[in-house]
Amino acid sequence: MTEVLLLGRRAMREVVRYPEATIPTLFIPLFFLAVNIGQVSKTFPSTTPFLKGQGYVAFQLPVSLMFAVATATSGLALVTEIDSGYFDKLLVAPIRRSSVIFGRLFADLSRGIAASALVLLVGIAFGARIQSGVLGAVVIVLLSALFGVAYAGFGILVALRTRNVQATQSSFLLFFPALFLTPNFVPFERLSSAMETLARINPISYVIVGIRSLVIDGWDVGKIGVCVLVIVLMGIVLTALSLRAIATYDR
Amino acid sequence: MLCTLLPPTSGTATVAGLDVVSNAADVRRRIGVALQEIGLDPVQTGRELLELQCGLKGITGSEGRERTQELLELVGLTDAAERRTKTYSGGMKRRLDLASALVHSPEVLFLDEPTTGLDPASRVTIWQEVRRINADGATVFLTTQYLEEADKLCDRLAIIDGGQIVAEGTPEQLKAEMGHDVVSVSLNGASAAATEAALTGLVGLERVVVASDALALYVEDGAGLIAEIVRRLDRDRIRVGPIAVARPSLDDVFLNATGRRLEGAQDEEERP
Repeated sequence: MTEVLLLGRRAMREVVRYPEATIPTLFIPLFFLAVNIGQVSKTFPSTTPFLKGQGYVAFQLPVSLMFAVATATSGLALVTEIDSGYFDKLLVAPIRRSSVIFGRLFADLSRGIAASALVLLVGIAFGARIQSGVLGAVVIVLLSALFGVAYAGFGILVALRTRNVQATQSSFLLFFPALFLTPNFVPFERLSSAMETLARINPISYVIVGIRSLVIDGWDVGKIGVCVLVIVLMGIVLTALSLRAIATYDR
Repeated sequence: MLCTLLPPTSGTATVAGLDVVSNAADVRRRIGVALQEIGLDPVQTGRELLELQCGLKGITGSEGRERTQELLELVGLTDAAERRTKTYSGGMKRRLDLASALVHSPEVLFLDEPTTGLDPASRVTIWQEVRRINADGATVFLTTQYLEEADKLCDRLAIIDGGQIVAEGTPEQLKAEMGHDVVSVSLNGASAAATEAALTGLVGLERVVVASDALALYVEDGAGLIAEIVRRLDRDRIRVGPIAVARPSLDDVFLNATGRRLEGAQDEEERP
């Protein structure tokens, strides 16, 4: 555990000392939030049934939270470390290799909490009301940050398998279409049938729906439960694959 | 492989008496490694980097801070300790990397070309440090392409060519095996074959190694043969460059063992 905390603290230093790597990842979700609201708020006024009296910002907020936390930051940091030779230094240290991954994920969790709290506050400033209250807001931040941790495993996996900066950077592009094959603009029922089918088999949809329920509906245990389940399963699978990749990593 | 970074393709290896595959974790506890690529994290300061290395090796709290300070003083980086490593010069990075390999006083220290790219002053500093570490009881396993460095630092050395050990022993043993003296004849454009032919049959000539720009004559008494060499070349009207006599160096050992000079990469051919 000490190793994880030490490596996590070091990864946090990267975040703090290289704000230029973090700021763009916050710009995208805030930009999307502002643009999407601006474009469709007249189409979907607060009288729209699925908004339940709120502005469209409440509906879009979970999507922006996904953008804020799903980054390739850890993967990129890892591949840079591999390039510089520091990764080898860590591998010859008498520590469990898994600590290198968990250290990164620890930093992702911290960064995810900060990023999602910021986006949530901006959403609230734009008029969103969190129906589940303050505790709900905390849960939203935690669920978003945990989704970021789960997703980070993907970037780490690509970094370890390819050892290539461009490939790791491009891994984020896979998330983009996945995020749009969801009920991101309208609920499932308002999507075309083909799109609805795709959205219903896309696990990210259920993360958005779960977080959205905390903003718009209050406490919907079913939706939140599915959201948690998806995040946990995604985290387990991607982290396990990353752990396997680092365990079998040869110089 | 010996550092546990690569699995062996075949065979076995032990470090500090431990198998590098079945006891990899224990091996890592006993070794320190400074690789050819200086593995430093540019985000951290020198002090932070050493404190982290201490922590990863189980030296935490005040003990870790004291050890860090001790190492910073040892490698002369106290003044730069609070600066991020990306601002360090090549020599400073190399010294910090060496310090990070020393945090837990390893039994075996692997140094992979530790002075490559360093200025002469930094190189001497590293040499002094390696000697001190060795004198303190650690085994130093050093790979280098500088034969002078191997000659000065190693008690035992092996020359590896194409993945095979082609010569092994103490520097003195290896040089002694080369024979007595080496007379180098710079060809300066003269024909290597004609020059070699002119010198064939010299008294005490053990062998001739022909390079593209020089001939190395391994002889019993170099100084005593100079006059005869000059006379024969003059007789055959062969104009050559400077002729020098020296004791065999590790460079000659390397040339003899591998058929080429280490630096220069020119193909050479050994003749009996």
